[in-house]
Amino acid sequence: MTAYADFQSADFNALSDEDFRGLARRFLHANHPDDIRHPAKRLHWPEVRPWYMILSNAGWLAPSWPRVFGGMGLSAAKLLIYYDEFERFGAARSPDQGLNLLGPLLINYGSEAQRTRFLPRILAGDDIWCQGYSEPDAGSDLAALRTEAILDGDEWVINGQKTWTTLAGDANWIFALVRTDKTAKKQEGISFVLIPMDAEGVTVRPILNLDLQDEFSEVFFDDVRVPRDNLVGEINAGWTMAKNLLGFERIFLGSPRQAANALAQLLNLARHYGLAEDARFVERYTGFRMDMSDHECLFERMADKVRSGGVLGPEVSFLKLNQTDLFQRITEYALDLAGCDGAGLHAIDGDRALNPTGPFFVARAATIYAGTSEVQRNILAKSVLGLP
Amino acid sequence: MPRHCDCSARTRSWMQRGMSHSADYSATLVMIRESVTGVADRADLQRVRGLRFGGGGFDRATWTSICDLGWIGLRVAETRGGVGLGSGAYCALAEELGAGLAPEPVIGAILAAAFLEGEHLEAQLAGTSLILPAWQKEPSALGPSDGLEMKGGGLFGVRRYVTAAANADAFVVVGQSGAWLVRANDPGLQVDIVETQDGGHFGTLSFDGAQASPLDGDVRGAFADATLATSAYLLGLMDAALERTIDFLKTRVQFGKPIGAFQALQHRAVDLKLQVELSRASVEDAAARWEAAPGALASLAAVSRAKARCGSAAMLVTRQAIQLHGGIGYTDEHDIGLYLRKVMVVAPQFGSVELHRARFAALVSPEGA
Repeated sequence: MTAYADFQSADFNALSDEDFRGLARRFLHANHPDDIRHPAKRLHWPEVRPWYMILSNAGWLAPSWPRVFGGMGLSAAKLLIYYDEFERFGAARSPDQGLNLLGPLLINYGSEAQRTRFLPRILAGDDIWCQGYSEPDAGSDLAALRTEAILDGDEWVINGQKTWTTLAGDANWIFALVRTDKTAKKQEGISFVLIPMDAEGVTVRPILNLDLQDEFSEVFFDDVRVPRDNLVGEINAGWTMAKNLLGFERIFLGSPRQAANALAQLLNLARHYGLAEDARFVERYTGFRMDMSDHECLFERMADKVRSGGVLGPEVSFLKLNQTDLFQRITEYALDLAGCDGAGLHAIDGDRALNPTGPFFVARAATIYAGTSEVQRNILAKSVLGLP
Repeated sequence: MPRHCDCSARTRSWMQRGMSHSADYSATLVMIRESVTGVADRADLQRVRGLRFGGGGFDRATWTSICDLGWIGLRVAETRGGVGLGSGAYCALAEELGAGLAPEPVIGAILAAAFLEGEHLEAQLAGTSLILPAWQKEPSALGPSDGLEMKGGGLFGVRRYVTAAANADAFVVVGQSGAWLVRANDPGLQVDIVETQDGGHFGTLSFDGAQASPLDGDVRGAFADATLATSAYLLGLMDAALERTIDFLKTRVQFGKPIGAFQALQHRAVDLKLQVELSRASVEDAAARWEAAPGALASLAAVSRAKARCGSAAMLVTRQAIQLHGGIGYTDEHDIGLYLRKVMVVAPQFGSVELHRARFAALVSPEGA
């Protein structure tokens, strides 16, 4: 730990926002490996492991977890700063399903034995978790999921299929939503269960995405047996727990950073072609910058609410809807600007800063994952506008 | 006549109590917003409708109660007899005026007050005299146009697009070389009236040796204020138009259900609400920046950003409001059309979307936000 003595605090929340921001910046500059900064794709475990272990050893891996469980115990205000600085810096994203979803799930709903067993192994990098939610016939309509767990003596027997499972190939555990009561209303028969990926009957098949990356996979369960104790929280309460896990962190789906980084890339591209002063470019670029600035105002308005202890309602969906739309429009224009260079399979001249296709593909996914834009609009229409 | 102005004295005393404390300040904003309801009620546009076209666009009694409420002195320092509140308070006022489609030239009168002193300022704040600004020559401009000339003690030139000119007792005439006060009945001034879509009018002012006394004022500050207030007016307006439209979607039944149950219309309504929320965030940010650093280029850029957003969003929301109302939306009889017609008059004022985009680009470095 001594190597990271400069980046510790008895209470990070007691630091001023400025001081904490400065600390996060210094931490990143001093410790983040150069070669994986601003990665063009989601990194696999062998590539990102060194950074994960640095975060782990420094105690900076689990910013939102309480101190007692080995986290940084950051308040909402400090957490906003943490993520803002990490995204600005272009820090590589670690396999964070265990950190962001399973950890809070166990902390809030898990048994003492589950917390003691699993949390330290996440922090140590011994367990990498993936999230088993979506299924072929349960995407936007997640509650229609059909993977089922049937109790047989002291074991759950699991059959079914998950899909779009991010980094499943790197994980040794999966936390899955499974049906434990087929007779109940669809939201009321779902439970959380923990399954080792090396259990007999688990098969992983990687899926190549549109950007030709093997970021996600299908996961098949064929008579997979796990101990009865691997169920988290109450039986048939999985849907409610999953919903409650999505607290104010939903604001991060609307962070301006993706679009802001795409905008910076757009300017790089225009400079590369000598078009940065071109009147047509300046007009389009100015429009994006103003949209960006308005989005930041909206983000800050909601962040202020979080900082002052308020609870974000369904209106937070406006942020994701707007950010991903802007992200797409910027990357679509970059592709147009790149002309035939936009047809290339790799970055222009091998320069990662001149890569019109990478952000374009990422932006395609952004309006689909974590609730499509159409689902966000459905939610907003009903919850915010009160439409039938 | 305003229906109830009993809150006027209360509001004024709140406003004048020195609003540096934040609890007091947010209470002030609430009081300001509530005080508008007596003059321009977003739920009842009957008065606004009645003042259109032949209705005069303006009645003195309402104007007097507006002045009694202290609104015209909102941005005038307390040492000069005003209330001395900030941009945030002004935006709250303008937003509510927009929500009620108030036809009174409040923003113009506040702009003029920034150039007045002594008895003229007193009369303006008291409402015994209505003095309005005349500063524009081109159809769209961000600030005072050129083309005014003082020769032999008389003022020469033309100012167009002067809101409510026929109701004015005098004009603050602003050019690039100075500002002057000219009485409306000066023999060297001819006022021609152009009717506008909202049922009001512009005046075209032709000065031919009009007697003019020089004035002083912070041109940049006064015009930024007016630009921001116009943005806030458009914000309130689009918010009210969308609120009415959503109510309509909930009650209008076709195919056996409220049309708001149809996903195509739900999604459109959400997209419009997003524009309203972006406009609100943009205006509030610009107001906070202007209050923190008045006159700074970054603050001015934020004002331009807010005006561009509100101008385009108000147009979008009020056009779509017509579409979502269907056939009834295309009648003059239905109030939803009043919002679009008002946007057509207000959105171009203090600079088009195009001009504000260009100014934003000029004020912000390429990498800046």
